[in-house]
Amino acid sequence: MIGRILVIARNTLLEAVRQKVLNVLLLFGLVMIAASSYFSQVAIDQQIKFVKDFGCGAIGLIGVCIAILSVAQLLPQELHNRTIYTILAKPVRRSEFLLGKFVGVVLLLTLSVALMSIAFAAVLWWQETQGLAAVQADYVHTPGWGKSPELTNMYQHDVAQIVNQVRDPQMVEAILLIFAKLVMAAAMAMLVSTFSTSFIFTVITTCGIYLIGHMESAARDVWLSHGAQATFGQGLFLEMLSLLVPDMNSFTIVDEILDGNVVPWWHTWNLLGYSAVYTGVLLALSELIFEFREI
Amino acid sequence: MTAVRFPWPRVALIALVVCLWAPIKLAWEIGLERQQDELRYHGVVVTRQLRDQLSQGLTIGVLAGFRNIVADFVWLDVTVAWEKYEWFKMDALINLVTSLEPRSILFWDNGGWQLAWNVSIFVKDDVVHQPNELRRLHDARFWIYRGLDVYQRGIENNPTSYKLWESMGQLYQNRLGDYYRAAWCYGRASQLPGAPVYLERFPAIMMGNQFAHDDWKAYELWKELWFRLTPAQRLEKAHWQEKIISNIRQLENTLKVPREKRVFPN
Repeated sequence: MIGRILVIARNTLLEAVRQKVLNVLLLFGLVMIAASSYFSQVAIDQQIKFVKDFGCGAIGLIGVCIAILSVAQLLPQELHNRTIYTILAKPVRRSEFLLGKFVGVVLLLTLSVALMSIAFAAVLWWQETQGLAAVQADYVHTPGWGKSPELTNMYQHDVAQIVNQVRDPQMVEAILLIFAKLVMAAAMAMLVSTFSTSFIFTVITTCGIYLIGHMESAARDVWLSHGAQATFGQGLFLEMLSLLVPDMNSFTIVDEILDGNVVPWWHTWNLLGYSAVYTGVLLALSELIFEFREI
Repeated sequence: MTAVRFPWPRVALIALVVCLWAPIKLAWEIGLERQQDELRYHGVVVTRQLRDQLSQGLTIGVLAGFRNIVADFVWLDVTVAWEKYEWFKMDALINLVTSLEPRSILFWDNGGWQLAWNVSIFVKDDVVHQPNELRRLHDARFWIYRGLDVYQRGIENNPTSYKLWESMGQLYQNRLGDYYRAAWCYGRASQLPGAPVYLERFPAIMMGNQFAHDDWKAYELWKELWFRLTPAQRLEKAHWQEKIISNIRQLENTLKVPREKRVFPN
């Protein structure tokens, strides 16, 4: 079973890698990350913050585009090319087919995120070199440089601040959380594509759910705290939102990491667990729907 | 022709999965939210006021989870407003950025600095727009207090940041000439995690300053600092034990402290 899933996954990955749209998107991501270092009108510590924000933003934005677009075209393309009939005529279960496709997309996302993260790390390293050179140039021209131990102490403090900001080990947490969010978006797209009949419908619906997901926590708060005051229709709407749409806003904890605040690993694991279980549920639902879809 | 049977068992199974998952999901999300609240990650609620201040594109950016990038773009507008001498717009934009990212020390610190230093000094020297010197001094003071307000709100949102306390201390010391408050701010800053060691000495230096000239208070603070240092710290160069000792000795002589009450009687 695992062998069949892996074969389908490998094939899905190869097909996706050959697609121009996804490659162009990835290129856009790399350009966005590289361009983030051109904020010369702000101070060096702000430049590092901006690079981190734009780098992670680009990984998130391009990643979600790749996730949704690659999943949305999976089933329609298979149906259009009629390859699905050939595959399902073989001893391959529908669940294996769907899971194989999903694993392929996850591999594609892993590859994309890894490539963008390497570019991001390179830009950060360059920014650190620039920052350290700027700090040194500032201190060298200060009267008393080289003689005053107090000045040396302050210089070391400034250097440590830049180095700590750039080589923040918490960036690993940030990238992992972004990746988990992308996998969830891909699973949502997979669920929609199992009952959708067109590529556009899947893309638009998934984007809608993704955006609403960022407001789910607000809807939940209103439903739980003011639910009694709402009309039946409003209450039902808020309840449906709270119970069905994933909470994407929790993942904005990445912003805290980028601001230099400490996010403990146990909280990150909790979020990763939430994402994994939610993805599992979405895949189970996708499989149930796909099983009775007429092909 | 055979009739197509509706797959009721499968639909029932889907409904069951949804019904089982929904309460677990709700409880899990409430737990996550509570954890984030305890960790002081308030997040940003897109209120009507915030919506009115942001353009449509930026609002969508915030709603799509790109709050940091939106804040960065707004921050670039602060620089543009500075170049156009639009002080009140700068103030409003700094408020907006800090509302979007209340946990970013950088924005609070630089926002306060922009208003309390850059704008205030510019306004004080701007004879072209305001020939009346008293009026200029009044305006400069106004912007210092606007900057101070930014620091204070920043500290409310980030109580464990030494940087904002240090910046507020510098403001009291250099712009307002209030050395007592400066000493208090530096003292608070030095006790917070990540604070540079040199901040430990600042409260005592403030009190011994020629303008504050409270030598007894300075002496108390130097003594307090000396006794707070562990034996190992007293040997570290970073803690400037020589400076602490020389200041204590000097003040003991100046204040004519009886030999038996001195820290260093010899």
